[in-house]
Amino acid sequence: MKKSRILKSGEEGHLSDLRRGQKCVVLDFHNDNAVLRRRLLDMGITKGVEIEIKKIAPLGDPIDIMLRGYELCIRKSDMKSIDVRVI
Amino acid sequence: MKIALVGNQNSGKTTLFNALTGMNQKIGNWPGVTIERKEGILKGSDDITVVDLPGIYSLSPYTSEEDVSRRFILDEKPDLIINILDATSLERSLYLSTQILELDCDVVLALNMADILESHGISINIEKLEEKLGVDIVSISAKKKTGIDELIDLIISKTYRKRKQIKIYPKEIEDTIKDFSSDLNIDNKRFVSVKLIEQDKGYRSFLNPSQKEKINKLENDFAMDSEQLIASKRYDFIEALKKECFSKKERKETITDKLDKIFLNKYLALPIFAVVMAFVYFLSIGIVGGFMTPLIEVFFNGASPEEAVEFNILFTKLEASIDFIGLSPLVSNWLTSINASPWAVSLVCDGVIAGVGSILTFVPQIIIMFICLSILETTGYMSRIAFFLDRIFHKFGLSGKSLIPFIVGTGCSVPGIMSCRIVEDQNERDTSIILTPFMPCSAKLPVIALFSSAFFPKTGWIVTLSFYFIAIAIILLFGALFKKFIFKGEHSSFISELPEYKAPSFSYVSRDVFDKSFSFIKRAGTIILLCSIVVWFLSSFTFTFTYIDGVHATINDSMLAGIGNVFAWVFYLMLGGNYSWAATVSAIQSLIAKEQVISSMTVIANVSGEDALFAAGSPFAFFNSWSAFAYLTFILFSAPCFGALGAMRKEIGSFKKFAFGVVFQTGIAWILSTAIGLIGWGVMA
Repeated sequence: MKKSRILKSGEEGHLSDLRRGQKCVVLDFHNDNAVLRRRLLDMGITKGVEIEIKKIAPLGDPIDIMLRGYELCIRKSDMKSIDVRVI
Repeated sequence: MKIALVGNQNSGKTTLFNALTGMNQKIGNWPGVTIERKEGILKGSDDITVVDLPGIYSLSPYTSEEDVSRRFILDEKPDLIINILDATSLERSLYLSTQILELDCDVVLALNMADILESHGISINIEKLEEKLGVDIVSISAKKKTGIDELIDLIISKTYRKRKQIKIYPKEIEDTIKDFSSDLNIDNKRFVSVKLIEQDKGYRSFLNPSQKEKINKLENDFAMDSEQLIASKRYDFIEALKKECFSKKERKETITDKLDKIFLNKYLALPIFAVVMAFVYFLSIGIVGGFMTPLIEVFFNGASPEEAVEFNILFTKLEASIDFIGLSPLVSNWLTSINASPWAVSLVCDGVIAGVGSILTFVPQIIIMFICLSILETTGYMSRIAFFLDRIFHKFGLSGKSLIPFIVGTGCSVPGIMSCRIVEDQNERDTSIILTPFMPCSAKLPVIALFSSAFFPKTGWIVTLSFYFIAIAIILLFGALFKKFIFKGEHSSFISELPEYKAPSFSYVSRDVFDKSFSFIKRAGTIILLCSIVVWFLSSFTFTFTYIDGVHATINDSMLAGIGNVFAWVFYLMLGGNYSWAATVSAIQSLIAKEQVISSMTVIANVSGEDALFAAGSPFAFFNSWSAFAYLTFILFSAPCFGALGAMRKEIGSFKKFAFGVVFQTGIAWILSTAIGLIGWGVMA
């Protein structure tokens, strides 16, 4: 697997590109799977929300993120569909 | 009057349900313990029904068990909804509330985990929140049972605020809701209008062109699709509430975070998991099983002088003489002394006591295993295992969450299969349902223990463990094959929460273990008892109803032998070239309950006049270590018992998939065990 460059503050990318401890703001998300998209919306992943990468599973996936005062685990493949700006 | 308990997963609904009704429903520490609605009567009332529903995050359901909740709320129209808020994730809890508050139904909010607010640095202005939301809020701790009486009083006295709709969206959206509502002539106008704006798939076919135009306008104005618009405006409303009504101190590293640094460590996680699971089975099967099982056998059958020496240590402590006859010889002597006929003595001793007793000897190790599993569930470690194994399981057509059915399945396949509902993806769920019964359940454990103590006395626990590894190998191999060839899916996801670690609750563990152990013992007293009597009857009489006394007729003339001989060819190869009716009928009975194999074998062997199962003269004397291993493999992995088959049929939805599952399970078991039997036949010849 190709290791992507660490995104710096102010840069834009996918949520899946972030490292542990980094924080970002959601810009948009585009998921073709309507049911999954709905679920992510319900879990609070909407435009403008702040997300922090909290814990990464020992095998690198899934990832535990912190948003809206709680923690949520999602797979990296689903994080790819979320566009963010690092803060 | 009907009350529904509604809230997020793992927010403590079932704990509150138990506190409100005095019942004892299963709770746990992972999201999705409750998978079906449960009803009870509110304490201190005669006609108020409380309904516990599976946890949901929104009224747009995602998994099948969440749909149970939504349909209940919308179709059965409860008189009151108690919406449980998890004070530690208040924002997300309130998101569901914003939807519930759009219904016409009366609502009371129960702010749970009030006892840990302070330690979590959270302060909430409850009066202000009540005012903003237009509902009553009761601060409770379901676990510590505080605030429960206030909640019950509020419900019974019906003094809670009646519904009045609150506005939570920007003016443009509120206007559209008002506009849509005025055209509706149904209940829950506001709720339905919002669903129409969201273009929810259950409602969008009712939209007319002018409504669609209005939605388009909203989407343009806010530069978002309507679904995202509604969700983000709900959260905006909550953010505004948060500013006014509650505050949360930025917390440093919590205990849970610290523990996760160890349990989810890159290098330590898998070794710790392996050690934990090995310890569970070593403790229950190795130590407790090895020590307690012979002791109970002594109780039923008495001890020979040599065995008595073995148990000397125990009895000398009590300073009692070691002249224990055992229940079975005792009853036999007594029945003979009152002139009972030989067949009556045989029915009681060889049928009832032998059949039921053979199962009860395994109770101690099963209790230990239930205790261990219960602790794993309640501490929150199980959710971690699901979290870090997802990466591996996902590759094999399963979800990390499939691990929960597999672990629960080591207790019993029925709840294991039912807990597959927490797996979101249909394909991953079906695969999990078909593969869960491969995990050796508690009823299979005695069968393994019986054979391994007879044929692998030194390496018993390794043999036992090997069956778990074979099970896991089968699960992964066929999970991957199913994904490739049968349940071809495009995309699946894993969305879960890691609950906080909790110290295992003594009362929870003891109740849970008692319930499970009791149902195991109950089966020994009911279905196993009945089957043992039937097997005794079929093996004690010939087709002409002559009692087999060993002189005029032998057990090989029995009805049971006749039935077994018809099917014995199926097992011919796996038993290393032995045509055994006795092993055949015992294997067939594993469909009724897996542990019935032991009862059947014990009854057959006893009736034939030989106590020791595998000693010369017994119909099972032909077994060697290879055929024993092969036979075990078949019993363990073939179609599960009727109970589990019923659960499979119910959960998997289509008969075709169910039939495929059963044929697949039995086919794999037969091929694998026959292969082992054939190798053994070759090695031994």
